[in-house]
Amino acid sequence: MADHWNFVAAAYGLAVLVLGGYWRHLRKKERELMTAGAQRSRQPSSSGHPRPGPAARHPLQ
Amino acid sequence: MTTLLGWLAALSLAVGAVMGFGVAPREVTQGNVQRIMYLHVPTAWVAYLAFGVVLVASIAYLVQRRPGADRVAHASAEVGVIFTGLTIAAGSIWGKPTWGTWWTWDARLTSVAVLFVMYLGYLLLRGMIDDPERAARYCAVLGIVAALDVPLVHFSVYWWRTLHQPPSVLKPGAATMPPAILAALLVNLAAFTLLYVYFVAKRVRLLRAESEALA
Repeated sequence: MADHWNFVAAAYGLAVLVLGGYWRHLRKKERELMTAGAQRSRQPSSSGHPRPGPAARHPLQ
Repeated sequence: MTTLLGWLAALSLAVGAVMGFGVAPREVTQGNVQRIMYLHVPTAWVAYLAFGVVLVASIAYLVQRRPGADRVAHASAEVGVIFTGLTIAAGSIWGKPTWGTWWTWDARLTSVAVLFVMYLGYLLLRGMIDDPERAARYCAVLGIVAALDVPLVHFSVYWWRTLHQPPSVLKPGAATMPPAILAALLVNLAAFTLLYVYFVAKRVRLLRAESEALA
């Protein structure tokens, strides 16, 4: 029987594309979450307004 | 830990490729197209494993209501769908030169297609329900029901007359293949199992991070 290497290449090529694509998708999602987390931690307050510096605060604050 | 698992999976896949293309001999009847087996059988095994994990994690979620169990079920179903799709595609590519057709509605192929569609539905259901607790509960029930198709897929070749051959490894008694081919297959089975564990571990971590970000 003929070897049909083109079928072998198609099957393995498809597997590389699909599994590699899924791995890239997970990596992208991970980077997005890390970026979003870093942005959240950089935000000065939940209201979006910067906290006043210590000198500008009322003594009782 | 996940990174180490990833490297281990990549290394074992490379060893599996060497075994499948370098060590295992050319099969006498089918020729080199039989080397698709080193992809088709491990992906099918991983699909079984993935949906088995969905079953166990779904039962655990319904009993204990722990979000961790739901995350494992979700991740395993997602990875299982990918591996089932690959099993169907690789089988179809292998089927054309050996059976003369890309697809036939025999019991094995049809039951795998049903399995694929059921878990696609599982993932769609998750996306459709906004309340995470309700989505987890509904999906746990669907995950358990859909997993009942796995034994049907496996034993379909015994219960009905099919074009697909019966199992050569996952069966009672000794494997019916030459040692070199069996060794290559087992290495690839281990490699794809490692890849599955890596994907699920990574996906579970992402799902946890997502739920923490939303909280």
